[in-house]
Amino acid sequence: MTVPHEHLFILSAILFAIGTAGFFLRRNVIVVLMSVELMLNAANLAFLAASRMHTLQAGATQPSLEGPMFAIFVIVVAAVEAAVGLALVIALYRNQQTVDLEQVSALKN
Amino acid sequence: MLDPQSPLVPTPDADHDWLWLIPALPLAASALCGALHYIEARKRLPKPAAGGHGHQGGHGHDAHAHAHDSHAHDSHAHDSHGHAAHHDDAHGGHGHEKTPAGVAAFAPFLAVASMLVAFALSLKGFFLLRAEGAPEAIRASNWSWIDTGSFPIDLTMHLDRLSSVMTLVVTGIGSLIFIYASGYMKGDKGYGKFFAFLALFAFSMLMLVLSSSLIGLFVGWEGVGLCSYLLIGFWYEKGWPAEAGQKAFVMNRVGDACFLIGSFLLAKTFFTLDMAMIAADTAGKLPEFGPKLFLAGLFLFLGACGKSAQLPLFTWLPDAMAGPTPVSALIHAATMVTAGIYLVVRLNPVFAASPELLTIVGVVGVLTAFIAGSTALVQRDIKKVLAYSTVSQLGYMFVGLASGAWAAAVFHLVTHAFFKALLFLGAGSVIHGMHEEQDMHKMGGLKKHMPATFITFMCGSAALSGLPLLSGFFSKDEILAHAFAHGGVYMGIWALGVATAALTAFYTWRMVALTFFGKERFDAAKTHPHESPIVMTLPLMVLAVLSVFGGLLGLPPVFHVAHALKEWLEPVTRAGDAIIAARGAHVLSHEVEWALLGLGSVVAIVFATLGFKKHVGGTQCDQSFAATRGRLHAFLSDAWTIDTKYTHWIVQPVKLLAFVIAVVFDQFAIDGLVNGVAGFAKSLGERTRRLANGKVASYGLWMGAVTAILVLVLIWNR
Amino acid sequence: MANALFYLMSVGAVAAALGTVLARNPIQCVLSLLASFFCLATIYLLAGFQFLAAAQILVYAGAIMVLFLFVIMLLNLGNPGTDDTTDTAMFRKKGAFVGVLVAAATMAAGAMAVTAGALPEAAQAMPEHGIDEIPALAGEMFGRYLLPFEAISILLLATAVAVVVLAKRDRKDAPRKGA
Repeated sequence: MTVPHEHLFILSAILFAIGTAGFFLRRNVIVVLMSVELMLNAANLAFLAASRMHTLQAGATQPSLEGPMFAIFVIVVAAVEAAVGLALVIALYRNQQTVDLEQVSALKN
Repeated sequence: MLDPQSPLVPTPDADHDWLWLIPALPLAASALCGALHYIEARKRLPKPAAGGHGHQGGHGHDAHAHAHDSHAHDSHAHDSHGHAAHHDDAHGGHGHEKTPAGVAAFAPFLAVASMLVAFALSLKGFFLLRAEGAPEAIRASNWSWIDTGSFPIDLTMHLDRLSSVMTLVVTGIGSLIFIYASGYMKGDKGYGKFFAFLALFAFSMLMLVLSSSLIGLFVGWEGVGLCSYLLIGFWYEKGWPAEAGQKAFVMNRVGDACFLIGSFLLAKTFFTLDMAMIAADTAGKLPEFGPKLFLAGLFLFLGACGKSAQLPLFTWLPDAMAGPTPVSALIHAATMVTAGIYLVVRLNPVFAASPELLTIVGVVGVLTAFIAGSTALVQRDIKKVLAYSTVSQLGYMFVGLASGAWAAAVFHLVTHAFFKALLFLGAGSVIHGMHEEQDMHKMGGLKKHMPATFITFMCGSAALSGLPLLSGFFSKDEILAHAFAHGGVYMGIWALGVATAALTAFYTWRMVALTFFGKERFDAAKTHPHESPIVMTLPLMVLAVLSVFGGLLGLPPVFHVAHALKEWLEPVTRAGDAIIAARGAHVLSHEVEWALLGLGSVVAIVFATLGFKKHVGGTQCDQSFAATRGRLHAFLSDAWTIDTKYTHWIVQPVKLLAFVIAVVFDQFAIDGLVNGVAGFAKSLGERTRRLANGKVASYGLWMGAVTAILVLVLIWNR
Repeated sequence: MANALFYLMSVGAVAAALGTVLARNPIQCVLSLLASFFCLATIYLLAGFQFLAAAQILVYAGAIMVLFLFVIMLLNLGNPGTDDTTDTAMFRKKGAFVGVLVAAATMAAGAMAVTAGALPEAAQAMPEHGIDEIPALAGEMFGRYLLPFEAISILLLATAVAVVVLAKRDRKDAPRKGA
């Protein structure tokens, strides 16, 4: 594949923007968490694109492995975060019988 | 530099410390009288008894308000309105209900005693100065009031020949008036308070005449203004006396501001406020500081106009008749109004320094005299006639000062004090006997009801109108002779002065005729006019004697006898006389003097007879004048509408300005600003409060928005 | 041809992402996200990261999304009618403007970052077995990145404990619930 590197980064930016919009604007907590996953994926793509860029540039002898390493750790952390977040969602549902963010405003004023 | 040992500025000497007693004794009496009044007023408060007395607090408690300190301004706390409201007559004084004085009955004794002792001390001072080889002036110990380093502000009692004359007049006539007042004010519920104020006034006036520096004089100046306000408004419950008191005080204030400016100018020129030093030093400073001396003199004269009720600032004096009659006699005839004259004579070199200033003084004086004299012609209230007469005679005194006849002005001051006090006290006696009736059109034929008052009143009127050989004749004619001798524009002043003398004689005998002669224009059965008690008639008799024989103090040179007062005052006036003489002497030949004396006698006798004859029949002359010359009558009656113009052009605009500031500026602008700030803070808070809605999504949104902006800014700046 | 595939997959990824954010039913969101992950995995593969593509499918699509599905099923959120909150109406609220603004800002930042500085040209050919070869990757993992590796294993342990604690049903609550 000989796609220019900018295109990968632009794709990453678009996916990140969509994830941000969903994070701010959805009412369902679970969908918010999913938007977070989307954002993390976009970040992953950015890392990998950078690694590819460094590997393929002139005068590079070794493949640049920081990118994939970081991406692996991001995946692990994303999994952890999703698990904890969903556990919280379950606890929230037990307490308030709803997962609607508009309705959990006990800290109002 | 002036030699401090010179006789004009004596060194302070502890031997003469008894001088401090002269003002101190009335001050002590004032405090004691105030205390007596306070005790009495507390006794009269209603007991906080059971049940429905209603809340008396609205009247203010005498107990608290009467923290009467002789120095403090007595807040006019209301006495308990235990008895019914006073039924008011036209200008009635104390109501028909008499309140027993209680412990305050001792007040007049204290006050009179202090004044008599002060009089005795003044006599002692007089004889001290009269002895062989006596100094021209003596001073008591110095009291350094404010130590400013380079400019001394001291207070000390300075007795020279002029001060001794003034203290004798103030304490002597004051004692007589105090004795009179003890009878006149009997039954008034403020009996003790009255004497406290009177004694406080005496203290201030004595401070005024005995102070060595302009600062001490100003303390007394303000003090007499204050006491005038307190005493004019003594019966403040009636409403208009309070307004009259305020008017007097405010007009005096205008004069006081000018006085201060004048003294600032003097202080700047002479670097001292000691009056004797200023007087002695003027001749030396004259060549280079001429214009400054003129300005200083002008401002001081304006201050004197306020105090002595001359042309721009005289309308308070007729209104001041709202006060009790002894007040009118003491303050507005004999003493306070003469403070202006005293000031000018004391600083006579400063005034003598500029002939233009003297001309201004003369013109203002004679115009005042004429306007006031013409106004007195048509007044119906007996006290108002006397008030305008006082303004008129004060104008004469200023004419005397303007002609350089300092001693003549002082002479007229003394004789005027005698006969004007007599006339006021006599009028008070009439009012007292007629049960608070003051309108002359309702009097008549009182000579058989009040013989002692009648005779003494005649003596006073004769002196006022300038009938020959009485005291008023000599003093008035001396002033007019000096004006005549001056020549130039002073001839106009002299002519107007003679016209005013004619008016004086006319209205004086009109007053006598309407009051004491003719048919009784009242119901003798209903109002029983009676003679006043001896405590009131005795002072009248003493003053009558003085009015008749007082002329001996200053016989004119044509009689080939020395002018006693002029010689006595020579050390004080010699500096001013020298400055004037340096510009050319004015001498009257003997023939001209006799002619002027004759002219004066003729004018007085003719117009006195005319006034008497026209009004002895009754009020027809007045009424026909009012009917046929309605506009002229109204114009004269309103003091040439000067006061009305003041109200229209000065008072109303000031009130409007006050309204604008209070309502428009203060309420809209300032309150709006302050409330606006508070309102803005409140609305800002409310809007900010809506941020904390407890919703995580919105918190996240705000955080994200700001972060995005930050990132953009950072990238932009890179 | 690989490029065409790349562009196809990127369109797919974006479309699926939009589907996630805009879908009403949470199940639909999950499925869209899955589609997006598959597309992304393909892109990783095309870019020469075979291991990551596999890890993406295994962990992300296979574990995390399944976990999401489990929770949605558990809470019974999938049926339309039960939790019929109009999710997407959020996009029509006045605050939505801010959210879109943020998204746009992010994109703009990204674009600027990319176009501002010149990125190095691709001068070499792709390595034969891809960029992330397993031996090299393993060498890095247990060499340079040993500490983070051990740390995340502890993190996983902690997470397991935390999840159990958080989601545990309190004994006292049990009888009261269901009222």
